[in-house]
Amino acid sequence: MADKLFQTTPRETAWCPGCGNFGILNALSDALEELSLEPHDVLFVSGIGQAGKTPHYIKGNVFNTLHGRTLPAATGAKLVNPELTVFAIGGDGDGYAEGGNHLLHAMRKNVNITYLVHDNQVFGLTKGQASPRSDQGFVTGTTPQGVSLESFSPLATAITLNAGFVARSFSGNKSHLVETIQAAVNHEGFSIVDILQPCVTFNKINTFQWYRSRVYDLKDDENYDPSNRTAAWEKAQQWGDRIPIGVFYKVDRATLDEAHPASANGPLVKQGVEYDGVKEILDGFAVNG
Amino acid sequence: MNSFSIKIGGEAGQGLVSVGNILLQAISQEGWYLFSHRDYESRIRGGHNFTQFRLADEPVHTLEEAVDVLVALDKATIDRHRQELKEDGVVIYDPSVQGETIDEPGFVAVPFVEVAQDQGQPKVMANAAAAGAIWSLLGDDLERVNGIFAAMFSRKGEDIVEGNKKVAQAGFDRVRDALGHRDMPPKPANAGPQYLIAGNPALASGALAAGVKFMSAYPMTPSTGVTEFIAANGRRCSVIMEQAEDEIAAMNMVVGASYAGARAMTATSGGGFSLMTEAIGMAASAEVPVVVIDAQRPGPSTGLPTRTEQGDLLYGFGTASGDFPKAILAPGDVQEAFYLMGHAFNLADKYQMPVIVMSDQHLADSYETTIPLDMDKVIVDRGEIVSGDEAGPDYKRFALTESGVSPRLVPGSGPALTVAAGDEHDEEGHLVESAEARRAMMDKRMAKMKGVAEEALPPVLVGDDEPELVLISWGSTKGALFETVDKLQEKGQKVKGVHIKQVYPFSQDLEAVLQGPGKKVVVESNYVGQLEKLLGMEFAWKPDGCVRRYDGRPLNPDYILRELEGGGHLG
Ligand SMILES: Cc1ncc(C[n+]2csc(CCOP(=O)(O)OP(=O)(O)O)c2C)c(N)n1
Ligand SMILES: [Mg+2]
Repeated sequence: MADKLFQTTPRETAWCPGCGNFGILNALSDALEELSLEPHDVLFVSGIGQAGKTPHYIKGNVFNTLHGRTLPAATGAKLVNPELTVFAIGGDGDGYAEGGNHLLHAMRKNVNITYLVHDNQVFGLTKGQASPRSDQGFVTGTTPQGVSLESFSPLATAITLNAGFVARSFSGNKSHLVETIQAAVNHEGFSIVDILQPCVTFNKINTFQWYRSRVYDLKDDENYDPSNRTAAWEKAQQWGDRIPIGVFYKVDRATLDEAHPASANGPLVKQGVEYDGVKEILDGFAVNG
Repeated sequence: MNSFSIKIGGEAGQGLVSVGNILLQAISQEGWYLFSHRDYESRIRGGHNFTQFRLADEPVHTLEEAVDVLVALDKATIDRHRQELKEDGVVIYDPSVQGETIDEPGFVAVPFVEVAQDQGQPKVMANAAAAGAIWSLLGDDLERVNGIFAAMFSRKGEDIVEGNKKVAQAGFDRVRDALGHRDMPPKPANAGPQYLIAGNPALASGALAAGVKFMSAYPMTPSTGVTEFIAANGRRCSVIMEQAEDEIAAMNMVVGASYAGARAMTATSGGGFSLMTEAIGMAASAEVPVVVIDAQRPGPSTGLPTRTEQGDLLYGFGTASGDFPKAILAPGDVQEAFYLMGHAFNLADKYQMPVIVMSDQHLADSYETTIPLDMDKVIVDRGEIVSGDEAGPDYKRFALTESGVSPRLVPGSGPALTVAAGDEHDEEGHLVESAEARRAMMDKRMAKMKGVAEEALPPVLVGDDEPELVLISWGSTKGALFETVDKLQEKGQKVKGVHIKQVYPFSQDLEAVLQGPGKKVVVESNYVGQLEKLLGMEFAWKPDGCVRRYDGRPLNPDYILRELEGGGHLG
């Protein structure tokens, strides 16, 4: 059998055995395989955390950046080369804590990238502190009395900001995850996929079993309409005994790259000095006595 | 050099900027060399602001403290600045604003609003009255100023142009009637073609001439002029200026765009620069070229938003955690601002590292006449880049090389892939933690500093070869420093002036200057003597004295001479 294009490299991963990240990695690789892309068409921009390491185990161009800064770095790359299929990849701490402001603005701007958030409801790499996604009562080194705050709702926030494509999936449901990632990539505009992912070492509450027994596919409800923003927002409130997965909301809006007239002549990375334009500018400084 | 200074003071929103723009155009078109600085408060209305114009018969790059003409649009102008008036100086003021008529030699009352209204024109044309009044000291008629009205207002209709002309004539006549004809400031014999440009547009044009394709920034005085200039020319020069949600995002976008293959930059000031430093460190680690303009203003914190200081040098030197290669350039005038931007991009690309360009409010906002900027002199050197077609499957982004520079691959340019990381990595860009790999990668990155240091720009030297006194400064202090040298030479002193336009790493040529003859005095706009400290660190050297200014106002020759005198450094 021919090698798979995006197949994961044989490199040893830094993940714990049984980590939810493996499921995400495999699904991502399979999703890309079927999208008629080549690895060099794809850029994975990732953050810092266990999730942020994912691109090192898959074929593609990789830029492993800072904690919380995946979105601006990915935005910069996409704006100068819209021909690249750009992923931003990071953990829930990365995206919802450190990078929160960027998330709001990337959604507003509708940058045409796909954002995968490995949501294990905990800071994994730093060994188990509370994340904005931790459930109330979750006891960690920084919250010895248990988390007192309500957990952050990325999907409701995304819908509020009219993000282009808002979905949730589960690392334990490969076919669902593959399908969701593909739909996210195919969407023109900002796509966020919050991926439920057990942390087998630092989150003993939200385990595989915990998620598996709760998730249900929005598609099971024939009447669910992802173009209905209000209904989507209400659906995004649901968390607990039953957890919906699937595409919550979808809307077509102008993307950020379209907003810049400079890109009209193709990707900026392929363009050089605009000699005539600069000459005109300089002439404008001349004193005409 | 013969020079003539005009200071116009007023509240923000009073039309100071309009009068200033008319004068900038008129004075330069009339053939004088010109230097003009804006002193303004961090507010939109009210307060006290002024613009100073210094016209001369030789190229001029700094202000003088004494003024020949004071134009008071507000009361504070006379209250605060009348002691700056030269003997025989003229004060043009509005008695209705002043609340009194001042019956002293040289004081001319011009009720600006009233003059406009007397001509049947609206109040806003008070600006034209002021411009006309001032011009009576610079020309025998208003032809030049009228030409500017025509260029500025013809789109608004002939009425407006004619109205401005009438009001200006009335202002002109008031002053002429009061003072008669006075000698005009001498003009240069033949200045040749000139540009009129401020530091911010010079920096931005330099970036455009160097092929910048992406900028992201968050507005912060005094850097915003660069940002808006690039934004305004997005279509014309195929460049994206993306306003970011904060400076952290701005810097990270720039790093992302540059990783993807575009020349990319940002511009900011102290507080924003502070927010950018983590991403600057990442650029260094992932070997992504970036150019960062830090338009300095007095710190710490938001400090004095609209004033000037050279207080970020050591912060620029120590930007971000860890050791990494970098260069810091410090343009001294608009010419250097333009050409050093091209150099900054070339250095960044060649060594795949951050380059910081240290400007400040004094450079950013000061207009100068200058010889034309020549884009044919801007050479674009993108450094070692391979395409994904050439690179082959074994391409390693961080291949160990002697120079420390590894060919950079533009993602998507062919089948080969590029992997980069801010975390420590191996030659392929994947994460590693072994001591050997860390050492190898540190050695590789830091090896680049050898090349950077070898091509460090030499200092600009003026004055005597066998000096008794050597004045050393950096960045925008250049103009004040060089004129100080001229003045001392005129008095028969043996003086050398040293302008350092690359402040990190220093050129080795500096060693000879520092160890050479003469007493050394370091002149700079900050409290602790940051250039002095950095020179001390790099050359194990100590100067004989210093001149420092940290009140937020630019250094000028009068201030420097006074301090040199006070410090016992003169003769
Ligand atoms: C600026 C900064 N602050 C803190 C850290 C330390 N840090 C690294 S990863 C991380 C949190 C990881 O959690 P998450 O993003 O959810 O990723 P996970 O490991 O769970 O996949 C933190 C706080 C850092 N690298 N950078
Ligand atoms: Mg996490």
